[in-house]
Amino acid sequence: MNESTLFLITFILYILAAFFYFIFLFAKREKSANTGFRIACLGLLVHTLALIWRTIESGHAPFTNMYESLSFLAWASILAYVIIEGKYKIRKAGPYFMLIVIGIMALASSPLMPKEATPLVPALQSYWLWLHVSVTLLGEAFFAVAFITSIMYIIADSREKKGIAKGSGLTSEKLDSISYRCVAVGFPLFTLGGLVFGMVWAYKAWGTYWSWDPKETWSLITWFVFALYLHTRIVMGWKGGRSAFINILGFLAALFTYFGVNYLLAGLHTYA
Amino acid sequence: MKSIIRFFSSVKLAIFLIIIITLTSILGTFIPQQRSVAEYAARYDQYSNLLIRLEVTDLYHSWWYISLLFLFSLNILICTLSRFTPKFRRAFRPKLEFEKKNLLSAKINDRIKKSWSIDSSEEGVKKELSSRHYRIKVNKKDGRTHLLARKKILGLFGSDIVHLGLLVILLGAIFSGMGGFRTSINISEGQIVPVLNADFKLQLDKFETEYWPNGSVKDWKSTLTVLENDNPILTKTVEVNHPLSYKGFVFYQSSYGWDWENPTLEIRATKNTDPSFTEIMRLKLGEKVKMNEGNIEISLLHFVPDFILNERNEVATRSLEPNNPAAFLEGWQDGEKIFSGWIFAKYPDFARMHSNVETDLKFELKGYEAAQYSGIQMSKDPGVNYIWAGCVILMLGLCLAFFWFSREIKIILEDDQGKAEIIASGLAAKSKEAFTFEFENIFTSLRRSK
Repeated sequence: MNESTLFLITFILYILAAFFYFIFLFAKREKSANTGFRIACLGLLVHTLALIWRTIESGHAPFTNMYESLSFLAWASILAYVIIEGKYKIRKAGPYFMLIVIGIMALASSPLMPKEATPLVPALQSYWLWLHVSVTLLGEAFFAVAFITSIMYIIADSREKKGIAKGSGLTSEKLDSISYRCVAVGFPLFTLGGLVFGMVWAYKAWGTYWSWDPKETWSLITWFVFALYLHTRIVMGWKGGRSAFINILGFLAALFTYFGVNYLLAGLHTYA
Repeated sequence: MKSIIRFFSSVKLAIFLIIIITLTSILGTFIPQQRSVAEYAARYDQYSNLLIRLEVTDLYHSWWYISLLFLFSLNILICTLSRFTPKFRRAFRPKLEFEKKNLLSAKINDRIKKSWSIDSSEEGVKKELSSRHYRIKVNKKDGRTHLLARKKILGLFGSDIVHLGLLVILLGAIFSGMGGFRTSINISEGQIVPVLNADFKLQLDKFETEYWPNGSVKDWKSTLTVLENDNPILTKTVEVNHPLSYKGFVFYQSSYGWDWENPTLEIRATKNTDPSFTEIMRLKLGEKVKMNEGNIEISLLHFVPDFILNERNEVATRSLEPNNPAAFLEGWQDGEKIFSGWIFAKYPDFARMHSNVETDLKFELKGYEAAQYSGIQMSKDPGVNYIWAGCVILMLGLCLAFFWFSREIKIILEDDQGKAEIIASGLAAKSKEAFTFEFENIFTSLRRSK
């Protein structure tokens, strides 16, 4: 038994959960959704063990290279999904969400991602690594849930407009409000982890709290997009389609901050 | 003036500015910033001049980007202030007189009749509401009792506090930009350097590099002492992530290197014809050393740590790491140059000597040393404390805005032919479902109570 075995078991559990969720989606069997949810929770548990194992084995936080950080993102996403599902019953989002998580896990286990734990470069040896990365990724995980529910909103809305029967309780109106709630949790987390903790750490490690590094700039851009979402929604009363569209843009910006910047733009954040 | 204020208090302007700032910020991440003119010319050809003139090449410090941020700050300030007074009045000087029809036309409302007296119904309502942590204000007028029950009222100000935090952060950024500076210095062990614009000096006592078992760098540590009038004040070991702060200045471990301008070399001379002959010399750059053999003087003219021939076939160094140390020697005898050439520490057989006089001496570069220096970044940032204060305010505001939902219940108690009529309306800015649920519970429980 080691970390990669636990990772593999997690991966299989997530695939299994997705499988049951899809049976629920196509065969409309409520029971399958429950099974899917339980398997996803079990996966989350095994995944937690895998992360703890990795931390003990490597002696540092489990998000210092792309493999680790993707694995942690998948973990945070499942956690966010389980919380939102537990609170608002969005099981119909389950199959799509599990697909995203499986995508992240597949990317993490691809041979392109170096998996061996390497010793930390001096700049990363700080407890701010824990605070900055974990809180930011958790915030982004909630954005991911909001992304799925926003897409589902657009689909549900167009169906309702065509007069096709409403789904099992998850109306477009409810999807719109759940998307907002995910942002309401994700936004403060992202602000705290990504921007505030990021600035504190940058000040301690690089001597300046802000240096317009592409990753910093892109996290500010992400923040602006969600600020736009909140203001158009709360102050100007935008709801529904336009709101969902901005939400999707926000998640894409977060995704670009996470991935795109590393591969397309050079900067100070060249660790992971 | 009024129209200016109206212009800046518009949320539409804020949204317009957010979009513009976002788009221009994106542009700045795709065009490399603060590079040389030559690099832009190579990259963008005929457009490079235009980009430089528009300051897109240093976008985040350009006058127009800073102006946008300034307009945005003004917009936030005026937007917040213009909405603050009515909100403040509503929160702290609320109207305590309600109209029946207003309450009944609210989205969340209820009315019940109880066979209570007005006083006891007031008691009952108060008890029910305060058990749910509502704070109650009472106003009795014209035989009617008006009750205003509220909780988590600070939640109303969440967005204002977020905006205040942002303004404090932007203010801090102005102070940082105007009064702050950053410079890097290289200090060798034992060296004392003055600190720019400060009344103290800095001494490097010790510098060391720690390695992981696999050979990669674990940490750089510089032991620094602050000297005031040549008296040591404090000593601290500075590492990456652990800077030293003193009198508003902060000192960071930022780089390291060797002082290859002043190396000390060890050179071994041997003879092809006489294997028993060997002579070792230690010399510094520019120094001339007399050999014991044959009245020959050796002088060291050049040293490079990482020898390379550049495209013009000149000697250069590829890096400051000692990957391929090389030295240029000359040999003199009786005032005449007899040989000269490069010798390489890693490739002793590669030595190229041009001899004017026949000699069978062979030279090898056996050792090379230079003082290691520590790269310390000195900075002073008078805005940084504003930034942290702003961050705290910002987070506090976000917590209030997203997790501290204000709720308000307005109640009129009226005597209706010996019975008490209770008319109520409820208002919650956010989390409406949860509030509706609470509101219904309150009235179910009031209906049941005797």
